[in-house]
Amino acid sequence: MNQASQMMTGNLAAAWGARLADVDYVPAFPITPQTEIVETLSKWCAGGELNARFVTLDSEHSMMTAAGAASATGARVFTATSSQGLLHAFEVLYTVAGWRVPFVLVNVSRALASPITLEPDHNDVLAARDSGFLQIHAETCQEVVDSILMAYRIAEDPRVCLPVMVNLDGFVLSFTREPVVLPEPAMVHEFLPPFRPAHLGFKASAPHALGTAVVGGSIYTYFRHQIHLASMNGLAVYDEAAAAFERICGRRYAAIDGYRLDDAEDVLVMTNASASKGKAAVDAAREEGRRVGLLRLRLIRPWPAEAIRDALQGRRAVAVLDQNLAPGQGGILFQEIAACLYHEALRPRALCSFIGGLGGKNLSEGEFRAIFEQTAEAGVRGKGIGPVLLYTEAEHREMQQMQYLAHELKTGR
Amino acid sequence: MLSIRFHGRGGQGAKTASRIVGTAAFLEGFTAQDSPIYGAERRGAPVAAFTRIAKKPIRERGLIARPDLVVVADASLIGDPSARVLDGVDERTVLFVNSPLTPDQLRARTSVSGRLTVLDLTDLALKQFGKRGAISALLGAVAGRLAGLRPESIREAIVRELTDLGLTAPVIERNQALAMQCFEAVQPVTLEPGPRAPVPSAQLRTPTYDPPTRGTAGITAGPNSAIRSVSGWRTFRPVLRPDLCNGCWLCFASCPEGAITIKPDGKPAVYYPHCKGCLDCVEVCPTDAMTVEREPEGANK
Repeated sequence: MNQASQMMTGNLAAAWGARLADVDYVPAFPITPQTEIVETLSKWCAGGELNARFVTLDSEHSMMTAAGAASATGARVFTATSSQGLLHAFEVLYTVAGWRVPFVLVNVSRALASPITLEPDHNDVLAARDSGFLQIHAETCQEVVDSILMAYRIAEDPRVCLPVMVNLDGFVLSFTREPVVLPEPAMVHEFLPPFRPAHLGFKASAPHALGTAVVGGSIYTYFRHQIHLASMNGLAVYDEAAAAFERICGRRYAAIDGYRLDDAEDVLVMTNASASKGKAAVDAAREEGRRVGLLRLRLIRPWPAEAIRDALQGRRAVAVLDQNLAPGQGGILFQEIAACLYHEALRPRALCSFIGGLGGKNLSEGEFRAIFEQTAEAGVRGKGIGPVLLYTEAEHREMQQMQYLAHELKTGR
Repeated sequence: MLSIRFHGRGGQGAKTASRIVGTAAFLEGFTAQDSPIYGAERRGAPVAAFTRIAKKPIRERGLIARPDLVVVADASLIGDPSARVLDGVDERTVLFVNSPLTPDQLRARTSVSGRLTVLDLTDLALKQFGKRGAISALLGAVAGRLAGLRPESIREAIVRELTDLGLTAPVIERNQALAMQCFEAVQPVTLEPGPRAPVPSAQLRTPTYDPPTRGTAGITAGPNSAIRSVSGWRTFRPVLRPDLCNGCWLCFASCPEGAITIKPDGKPAVYYPHCKGCLDCVEVCPTDAMTVEREPEGANK
């Protein structure tokens, strides 16, 4: 055990990421399960541990506008939200990406209403996948703090200059404590030099306009395409940042994280904290003789298509476990995986789509077993399946009982 | 890996207990992970928390489906199907229950079987502190003992976690002292972690389309909160002493459940089926007319 590690929740790790990055400005609005992050930062700003201006705004829409505007002045900005809050700020997400302002936003995943809940799935963060924000999704509390530092370096690189979203799962990471090693401030200083943007620095004495109106399409096309190019540049910039982070802090985070892939004939694709459970399920399946592995997607935007193709080509079958549901379509990441494998000569014989863990529903050992069994069968058949909903007979019976209480049972009064 | 599941009621300290055990294990050099799960916060509502202890990195996350040790802070949770106290419990699982009953009485009154340890932590806390309060340090010490952790690390973990909650040094010392008494009072057991029998493949069933009247989240059965009793949530109940009541109605105004009504004589009355035992009324009462009584175990509340 490393002496320097300490027990820390994902939310506290996120606050430490902002503190170590020595941010200048934190616009805030509370929402479960994110609130601990801004509460902690508020305490540190008040106590002087963090030399930043902490401002509470009247909504996430204002908060995200303030984050973008402050970033345009050349300040290093951190903010955080979750779920409904992210959606409330939706208009501004696209707007500030077009301003090319490099701040970091932490999203703590929580399923979306309706019906309303508190527990996680990824429909919130993936709704923002086309906003222009880069997206890094974390599996562990350690990864949360490290990813925020990487996010600033990538965002602030002149080849990118876009905001970056770091995602962590509500409850299963946000409220979960596990050992975390905080990088030394000297390491952070070496990895992430102070923010001195050449192109930003909006101030009252030198006003300029950002995100101006353009009409006619071609000018618009040029600028929107610049956002795309900046995001695509993020692939190489990400790899450089990962290499530098490993050199300085000793931990490596590739854009994709392969687990027991070497001789795997079937591969399960996952994201975020539940990928830990997926890895445990891979171990269990291997003990029973199944040659399976797991591919965790860490960098979601830009989409690391080449790395994904390299990891998945030549496999018998690939299963994508989406903790999201696009109504009328299926799993969001399944579509993207399928698209990037289409032209691959050695593409897997079967692509399988599973939808699970919605609204924080537990991904059980039995469900992982069902995934591996059905995926192997699909691989043998050479024909994919899905979307398959991970929802059990027992849950169905419980649901019927609740519907009886909600609709059929009369109070008799 | 050792998996410990805590069940309590909001305000009892189950989450902090899970952290005390996590921190103590961490201090002993283990890899630890702890996490709570709860809905919109309500005092008295069922809460669960989980601590995992291992010598290697922990790959499990979220709820513990098959615990080695279950710590129950309030025995009335055992009979509450929504609390799922006995889920995944098998003959190897050790159960600790905070209760004044004997193990045999508990077995007779609940569906608990197997390996059971019982101690009345609430009574110890009442006698020692003279008033009700969270029993997180006590639960943590008992769980730590059963998990085979050392007393020094538990003492230190209690200081760290209760300091983190903003408690003062004298309060922490009192908790620590009583926690160590509880630690000694519980007989160590041999936990049997290790691989359980493999779980069969999940029997999946995709729901079919239902008409929107049924397939939309909503309730059409009419107001039913009136028939929903939350009596079982109480570990303590407020009891009015009319002779001390000045009729200020602060208790009536502060009750989050609307369980306090005003009688024609201007004095409040508690409607117990809707009282969840948060005791906000006791806190606000300026004349100490609202007193506190411990709920008798297994009684018809």
